[in-house]
Amino acid sequence: MSAQSRREIWIAATVALVLLGVMPALNAWVPESSFFFISNFTINVWGKYLAYGILAISVDLLWGYTGLLSLGQALFFSLGGYMLGMHLMLMIGKLGQYKSDLPDFLVFLGHTYLPAFWRPFYSLTFAAVMVFLLPMTISAVFGLLAFRSRIKGVYFSILTQALTYGASLMFFRNDMLMGGNNGFTDFKFMLGSDLRSAATQRVLYIFTGIVLLGVYFGCRWLTRTKFGLVQRAIRDSETRVLFSGYSAVQYKLFVFVISAAIAAVGGALYVAQVGIINPSEMTPDKSLEAVVWVAVGGRGTLVGPIVGAVLVNALKSWATHAIPDLWLILLGSLFLVVVLFLPKGIISIPSVLLDFYKRRIKRPEPAEPTPVTTSSAL
Amino acid sequence: MRRLLVFLGFLCTVALPGLRAETPAEVVAKAVALEDKTDEQIALIKSLAPSPELLSLLTLWKEGGIFLVDLPDKSKLPVLLEEAKDADGKQAALLLQSGKPYADADGKPLRLLASDLSAAETDSELRSAMKSILDLAGLAAPDAKSRLRAIEIVGMEQDLAKLPALKERTSSELDAEVKHALLEAIALTELKSAEPETVVAACRALGELGSIRSQDALRLLTKESGPQVKAAVEALQKIERHLVNVNFWGTLFRGLSLGSVLLVAALGLAVTFGLMGVINMAHGEMIAVGAYTTYVVQCVFGPGLELSPFGLHIALPSLKATGWLYDCYFVVAIPLAFITAALAGILLERTVIRFLYRRPLESLLATWGVSLVVQQLFRLTFGANNVQVASPSWLSGNWTIHDVGIGWNRLFVIGFAAVIVVGIFQLLARTPLGLLMRAVMQNRAMAACMGVRTERVNLLTFGLGSGLAGLAGAFLSQIGNVGPSLGQSYIVDAFMTVVVGGVGSIFGTIFSALGIGMLDQTLQQVLGNPVLGKILVLAGIILFLQWRPAGLFVTRSRSLEN
Repeated sequence: MSAQSRREIWIAATVALVLLGVMPALNAWVPESSFFFISNFTINVWGKYLAYGILAISVDLLWGYTGLLSLGQALFFSLGGYMLGMHLMLMIGKLGQYKSDLPDFLVFLGHTYLPAFWRPFYSLTFAAVMVFLLPMTISAVFGLLAFRSRIKGVYFSILTQALTYGASLMFFRNDMLMGGNNGFTDFKFMLGSDLRSAATQRVLYIFTGIVLLGVYFGCRWLTRTKFGLVQRAIRDSETRVLFSGYSAVQYKLFVFVISAAIAAVGGALYVAQVGIINPSEMTPDKSLEAVVWVAVGGRGTLVGPIVGAVLVNALKSWATHAIPDLWLILLGSLFLVVVLFLPKGIISIPSVLLDFYKRRIKRPEPAEPTPVTTSSAL
Repeated sequence: MRRLLVFLGFLCTVALPGLRAETPAEVVAKAVALEDKTDEQIALIKSLAPSPELLSLLTLWKEGGIFLVDLPDKSKLPVLLEEAKDADGKQAALLLQSGKPYADADGKPLRLLASDLSAAETDSELRSAMKSILDLAGLAAPDAKSRLRAIEIVGMEQDLAKLPALKERTSSELDAEVKHALLEAIALTELKSAEPETVVAACRALGELGSIRSQDALRLLTKESGPQVKAAVEALQKIERHLVNVNFWGTLFRGLSLGSVLLVAALGLAVTFGLMGVINMAHGEMIAVGAYTTYVVQCVFGPGLELSPFGLHIALPSLKATGWLYDCYFVVAIPLAFITAALAGILLERTVIRFLYRRPLESLLATWGVSLVVQQLFRLTFGANNVQVASPSWLSGNWTIHDVGIGWNRLFVIGFAAVIVVGIFQLLARTPLGLLMRAVMQNRAMAACMGVRTERVNLLTFGLGSGLAGLAGAFLSQIGNVGPSLGQSYIVDAFMTVVVGGVGSIFGTIFSALGIGMLDQTLQQVLGNPVLGKILVLAGIILFLQWRPAGLFVTRSRSLEN
């Protein structure tokens, strides 16, 4: 294990300890009046950030490591959310507005019994399986179609954008029986415990953190195997990979499906904590927003996306409150600046500065031959 | 003494008809003055022959435009008020019966306040009597459009009493469309006839006419018994066949027009994306730039415009144009929309895109950032809501040919798309600039070696593409809403159109735009559901790319990566 990777693990472990150990502890056991107390709201918001971090990793695995800019990750994210949301909707029971066993929107639409495809969702296990199964199936079918006909680069982006757009149109419809415009909200219980209570939120938060940690280490392992090598080779020159006798289709398909599953888990955790899911989460814009996180944090690394997701969303939380009119301008400009001037994102700032320092201060150094880097795209 | 005088006056007015024919105004004035005696009022207004004057008077009465002045002797004097108000809100009054100014004893014209007077009232019975007079009189209206509307209304009433009036018009009616409607109305009314033969004949006539409007009445008839049932069923079948035709041609027209809209929106993209290979997610915002330019031009021609972006205050002057001059605003807006969007595009190319020519994925992301910023700028400048762009009168009418509605604006878009396409082909094929563009797009390095200033050609090509988007915006402003997210609603479709057509082939874009437009409209017609149609089109496109991954028209190249 190299020194750098040992350092990385140390940093990850420290951050994980702070986020998963210290923060919940301060929330649970420190009195509210104390300076060190962390409010339930903060825990909830950080839970959301961590769920976004999971989504960001899924984007990065595709974009940063395989060169596939998928604008469909928001679709998989929301699908995961919808699948868990269906279970949570059923768990509301008779506590809804209409005091019916059916979810409110179904009563509102004039339904008297539960549609067949809703029924299995009474079981959390089934819902959890569907969180994985549905996005993975859709991504497998779509990916197979797209990769087989060698759709790549921007065409892949445009097609995934169309897929997401079409799906959001579908979910906006009431007769889809998935809540239409309003989606699902007003959840009450999960596994019998009250979703709005601080304790449940804390448990969900810790769980999200653990999942994020698991995803991080899983992807870290994956990208360091031989598979990861091929993956990056595809990013840098797909043609050469093909000529070397690898079937790029299978590799790309595998990564695409895995990413869909990761995004879906993030979505499910997001919905449990934020308590609402509707089709506006499914638009191509949301996918692009996740791409912004990755770009800002630093693509091609696994820490970058998480840092980006937390930073950009913290910025968003602040800006939509303090300067609501300028938030989109800020986001757009941030994106422009990062793409134009900081292609490797925020986490590359130290190394950029270090390079600068080395070149400026320690000028008399033998110029080492820079490796030929091919452009990452197309 | 005074009472006696009034009585004598009353006698005179009652006795006068014997001496000379009363004008409609006098009769109506008398009827208005009768107030609550509805029966007498109806008798009076029915005694008059329909004339334009009567119609305007009755309409005025119905809409509360006739006012009553309380005279000292408790009787009421009907007056009209002129539109112009003075500083106190008072209006000059005219006597209803003569149209002369209402003057006091000294002959000085009086000015009255509308809120002091009570409007002449009408009850429902009187109003329905008025309506039937107005409807029947409308049959003879000088303007063909209002005649048509009146005939349709009378026809739907199926009132046998109105049959003679309708039949009377058939001999004198010259306008083919109105005559068609007249025959339809007569047949429709005759369905109510007591004689089975008349009903059967009417059914047959309706079938021949392909009367869509009569379907409900005919369906009612099928529930009765007798020979008319069979006739009604046959007529319904004929109408059904006619309807299929109408739907077919209607769908064809709508598909063509939607295809043209797509084409106009996608042509700019076909230049920037297809020829240059730049993914410009801000293309939609270029469309919006064109649309907002049209809006600003319209406001300058009309009422003026005040904008307050970022606390600044910009007031644009108003030309206060009306009539044909106002209608001209669109002619001015078209080139301006092109120029503004082209300049915006050139700015974008200089500041962002030129750094990203070799990184298409990154240009996608950067331009998306630009599109967010621009959208928000629109919101801050023009407000988050849609703005109103009124079509000039020469674009807001429509023709109805055999029940197929053809809107002038849609027709115009089709024609305009054709003009732009021809223009682009001319530009690319016949001009030196076009030659340079093609050279640079085919092989940038080689063109540069030959001394082509590729930087400048890039600039101009991008400007052209953006300008075309601006033109699209000017047109979309005539068809749909203009708002900050206008561009977003077209961008996915536009990209799809270019990809399906084959990137780099303008010819392909034309085919795919028209194809997608037709498919979309056909699916909408068949499924009766626009959203589902759209979803199916998207799914269809994804499957189509399985079959032809490079689109309809493949631009061949020796490059490996393409």
